[in-house]
Amino acid sequence: MASRFWTQGGDSDTEEEEEENSEYDGSDAEQPAGDNTGAAAGSRYLRGQASDSDDSDGQHRVVKSARDKRFDEMAATVDQMKNAMKINDWVSLQESFEKINKQLEKVVRVTESVKVPNLYIKALVMLEDFLAQALANKDAKKKMSSSNAKALNSMKQKLKKNNKQYEEIIAKYREMPESEDDGTADEDEESDSEVEEDPSKIVMSDEENEDDDDDDEDGHDEATEGDGVWERKMSKKDKLMDKQFMKDPSEITWDIVNQKLKEIVAARGKKGTGRVEQVEQLTFLTRVAKTPAQKLEILFSVISSQFDINPSLLGHMPINVWKKCVGNMLLALDILEQYPNIVVDDTVEPEENETQKGADHNGTIRVWGNLVAFLDRLDSEFFKSLQCIDPYTREYVERLRDEPLFFVIAQNVQDYLERIGDFKASSKVALRRLELIYYKPQEVYDAMRKLAEQTGTEDGLGNGDESEKNLSMEENRGPPVFVSIPELVPRKPTFSESSRALVDALVSLIYSYGDERTKARAMLCDIYHHAIFDEFSIARDLLLMSHLQDGIQLMDISSQILFNRVMAQLGLCAFRAGLIQEAHGCLFELYQGGRVKELLAQGFSQNRYHEKTPEQEKAERRRQMPYHMHINLELLEATHLISAMLLEVPNMAATAYDPKRKPISKTFRRLLEVSERQTFMGPPESVRDHVMAATRALSKGDYQKAFDVISSLEIWKLLRNCDSILQMVKSKIKEEALRTYLFAFASCYDSLSLEQLTSMFDLSKAHAHSIVSKMMVMEELQASWDQPTKCLVFHNLEQTRLQSLLFQMADKLVILAENNERAFEVRTGGGLEGLPPKRREGQDYTAYGSNRWQDNSASGVSQGRQGSGYGGRLGYNGRTGGSAQAGAGSRGAGGHYGSMGRTSYRATAMRASQVEGFAGMVNLSRAGRI
Amino acid sequence: MADYDLTSRIAPHFDRHLVFPLLEFLQERELYANDEILKAKIQLLSHTNMVDYAMDIHKALYHTEDVPQAMVDRRVEVVARLKSLEESAAPLISFLQDANLVQELRPDRQYNIQMLQDRFQIGADQIEALYQYAKFQFECGNYSGAADYLYQYRALCTNSERSLSALWGKLAAEILMQNWDIALEELNRLKEIIDSKSFSSPLNHLQNRIWLMHWSLFIFFNHENGRNSIIDLFFQDRYLNAIQTNAPHLLRYVATAVIVNKRRRNMLKELVKVIQQEQQCYKDPITELIESLYVNYDFDGAQKKLKECEQVILNDPFLGKRVEDSNFTTVPLRDEFLENARLFIFETYCRIHRCIDISVLAEKLNLNMTHDEALVWITNLIRNSKLEAKIDAVSGTVTMPVVHQNVHEQIIEAMKNLNMRTYLLAKNITEPAQAAQASR
Repeated sequence: MASRFWTQGGDSDTEEEEEENSEYDGSDAEQPAGDNTGAAAGSRYLRGQASDSDDSDGQHRVVKSARDKRFDEMAATVDQMKNAMKINDWVSLQESFEKINKQLEKVVRVTESVKVPNLYIKALVMLEDFLAQALANKDAKKKMSSSNAKALNSMKQKLKKNNKQYEEIIAKYREMPESEDDGTADEDEESDSEVEEDPSKIVMSDEENEDDDDDDEDGHDEATEGDGVWERKMSKKDKLMDKQFMKDPSEITWDIVNQKLKEIVAARGKKGTGRVEQVEQLTFLTRVAKTPAQKLEILFSVISSQFDINPSLLGHMPINVWKKCVGNMLLALDILEQYPNIVVDDTVEPEENETQKGADHNGTIRVWGNLVAFLDRLDSEFFKSLQCIDPYTREYVERLRDEPLFFVIAQNVQDYLERIGDFKASSKVALRRLELIYYKPQEVYDAMRKLAEQTGTEDGLGNGDESEKNLSMEENRGPPVFVSIPELVPRKPTFSESSRALVDALVSLIYSYGDERTKARAMLCDIYHHAIFDEFSIARDLLLMSHLQDGIQLMDISSQILFNRVMAQLGLCAFRAGLIQEAHGCLFELYQGGRVKELLAQGFSQNRYHEKTPEQEKAERRRQMPYHMHINLELLEATHLISAMLLEVPNMAATAYDPKRKPISKTFRRLLEVSERQTFMGPPESVRDHVMAATRALSKGDYQKAFDVISSLEIWKLLRNCDSILQMVKSKIKEEALRTYLFAFASCYDSLSLEQLTSMFDLSKAHAHSIVSKMMVMEELQASWDQPTKCLVFHNLEQTRLQSLLFQMADKLVILAENNERAFEVRTGGGLEGLPPKRREGQDYTAYGSNRWQDNSASGVSQGRQGSGYGGRLGYNGRTGGSAQAGAGSRGAGGHYGSMGRTSYRATAMRASQVEGFAGMVNLSRAGRI
Repeated sequence: MADYDLTSRIAPHFDRHLVFPLLEFLQERELYANDEILKAKIQLLSHTNMVDYAMDIHKALYHTEDVPQAMVDRRVEVVARLKSLEESAAPLISFLQDANLVQELRPDRQYNIQMLQDRFQIGADQIEALYQYAKFQFECGNYSGAADYLYQYRALCTNSERSLSALWGKLAAEILMQNWDIALEELNRLKEIIDSKSFSSPLNHLQNRIWLMHWSLFIFFNHENGRNSIIDLFFQDRYLNAIQTNAPHLLRYVATAVIVNKRRRNMLKELVKVIQQEQQCYKDPITELIESLYVNYDFDGAQKKLKECEQVILNDPFLGKRVEDSNFTTVPLRDEFLENARLFIFETYCRIHRCIDISVLAEKLNLNMTHDEALVWITNLIRNSKLEAKIDAVSGTVTMPVVHQNVHEQIIEAMKNLNMRTYLLAKNITEPAQAAQASR
């Protein structure tokens, strides 16, 4: 048993590893390594293959058959393996594995190459997957016969050892099951065909062409078995054929091109169709298109097949393909610019021969396609690539530089759509653009603008040149392009001086034409942008007037994430402006569940009690924000905790003996309790430790120490004007220290002079006077000024022992009555009419009870909780909640300035408004959990 | 002192004709150069039909007898148009001028139209012409005529949009004629329509409300009961929201109204909240006074602001209305405002003090009086039982007694409703039980 245990342990390890490999293929640190070596190894691999096919072309018959034979054998073995897998027969699988290894040697000998055939690799991958699957399924494993299990274990080890040799190739295969790294592949193929072209021109006759056609079909048959190598070869020949029939430009007619296009498009999505080849074929076709409309049509096919290259939802489109795709889009826009009579439409099915109409056709020509959809896809691919690339690598920065590239295409599409009057679609494009800039502070924006200008002059947008180069290269080889389109659309994005102006322009377009979701998102982006630029009041007004927080739960998750980001940014903005209460109001809900990362989509949070399914995890992964859009979590936490501290410490001091008052920030209280429970206090390390240390100092009224601890935090360096903010924090800390001191020690004083206060807390006289006066008016402090002597006189009420006991008794009687009522409600299921809905407070209160009574009341509490949970169904809970909201809601119903900001006057109103105002965030988490 | 002049901010929300009184006021106060105001007036008149008046101003401005050709042309045009409108509206007007015939009209609008059509051949065209004619009269400055015609028109009109604009016209005419009672009636009617009507867009609705509030300023600061009405209107949720959204400058009038109105102290909290929220958007000495008094408890600041407030009130066309008393003029609102603001300050000051030096108090309150006068002032307050305080004449201080709630009272307060609740509970439990027994 022991050995089994151990092996199991090992198993799960490898299994995990493997799963990781297969799932995140190349998301993590593995990626750069894989890529670096990938370039070298890939080309080597390909060269091998190229020589391979060269061979076959050079000395046709003999070698081919010998090779075929070997391959057939191998394929048969693979089939055997598949069968064995089906019945979970590890013994025969082991045999087949050994067999295939032997065959491999033969094949390699025959083909005289160092390279292993694809088929073999495929088999290996298949085996590996199956093995992982078998190991994962522990129940099934237990059921296996002993010989089978033994075979499984030995298989595992063998495979591991064997696979080590082919690690790279397998990894590459996994990344791109059908073919290899494209860039290199493309080039190789091109050089390939170049070599082949000359002899074929001379030698190959029509007959052979037909032969090839037959072969092609055969190839397809075989391809259904999933043989990559054959497929590749055939398609190459296919291409060759294309070139031949293009040989004489005058012979090519619209019909031929059209037919070819249909043929290629029909093959799309079929099993065994090489995606990369398809793109190439189509790209070739674009050059021979007869009319601009046809060219456009083919271009659209090229673009959509480029999108097809990456089939998985998790991975992103290869970057060079993405760039080519952008180039194609620009080309399409050029065509549309030059021939304004061509209309792109995806609502009506165009007539069969619509694209036959030439450039001189007068009427409108309809071409099927949807520019906005292409653009959306481009954007999401860009986004995905940023999600996947490790942000600490150079690659990420390189990728970020492509942003202007997308920007220019979006701008052009938007201009085009506006020109043809499709404002609805253009508003969608505007949103895409907006989402690229809304999170950028002015510095970043300027940097982007400069970058765009530089690259614009340097290499004409990188890809523009590249594609041109490609084009020119192709032009040298193939026939001249029939329809040449000059570059009409600007290849350089234009940015206005300030990002605000740009955002304003985009937003106003969206507000007037966008649909609901677009508008809501635009509004959120707008608010976010205002918040970054320290315009708190504008951002707040926008948020409240838009009523977004009311309906945010009903929106899609990505919008909810955006909303959370907006709230976080708004909180930071309020903090910078010194509006502590508002900052806390914005942030506390984010921190309530301890799942900030998840709420902001900046990472994953583990939930101890809730295991996520792989689907959920994948969905969550897809939602992540790219690194450069992150909001600094440390800063956010510090902001939240400091504002909670500034509010909570005086509140705690004021209500130390009054358990009826609710804590302002429960999160903060909990953290404080945790830190107080520690037996030994070390120097602060994390943000949380710092704030807790500051809290301890502040609750004693030691403002200087509190401030020192806070200011020693690293994160302040991240802020633009950190000096003034620290100054603000300091003065706030002084104020709150004064308040705390008065709350805590008022009972020890009979009178206190203003001078003493000002010197203790380093405040100006007017300031201290104003703070203390406010406390008096709010009836927080039982004291009054004595004007002639400038001192504070406290009115302490001495209670006799009997009186305080009486108060306690009164309180407890209230609890008793409440418990009775609750018990009654549980019984009857209905609330008593006409009673004040104040049960909640009662609950908390009993929890604080500290003497004999506690035993009784504890049961009362649990019962009460039950009761409220039970009664909730019948609307009892709703009533208590409703009354809390009613205060703030009354105005929110009719109007605009619902909740926030109106709050400072009454504590209860504030709480209610917070409940109402920021309810949106809780619900996102619920949606995430489901 | 032109800093706090709101004319440029409120003018866009008025009808052209309503801006005239404001400009007249500014001219009187001499805040701006006379020429500038005259130019503004000409500009204002350029789109009205009061060409003669515009010519007069032009002459005064440039000290010439010549008048630009454009004005002369316009005059001819206006007269011609007046003629044609008069003709087309003539049948209906002649009908309306006959008191006997008018008596035949009934409250039923459909019937009236039918009757006019049948007996006098007055159709929809003529009714429409009446509206145009009334509008033209208004633009020519003949407000009383316009008001009459619009009144008649409303009785006959079937189009609700037209009816609304006729109502606006009527309101403007009444305001300009200074018939405050009628204007107030019209205002209330208009408010009802605006509140109940569904507008094409929320923005439109908002705009209408804001217009209404601006126009109402004329009425509220002139009508004797206006001070209550302004608080009633402006503190309605919808209107308060409108102020916050698009016209924060109206807060000056709201604040003034609240300060002046002793009986509406309860609105103060609401007002403070709104002012605090809008302090980024709008600020003037009056709102700042309230802020320093009720947010910052900065009495020195309040004292300074109070001085500025006086100037602001004098320079405001609505607040600074003069009353000619036999031989000297006063601004009644200013006196009231200062008096009440002083009371506010004093009250708050007393609330947080136990003992105050009387001379300091006099200084804080901006009372330019001696120690003795202040003493009299305070004594009066105490005698009118507005203030619970005693004067310590020897040391020259006022002392406030500290009142504590009796412990016994507190306990009774805490236990008071327990009895009721228990009773209710018992009743709830026993009643069903008894009912069950009875049924058995």
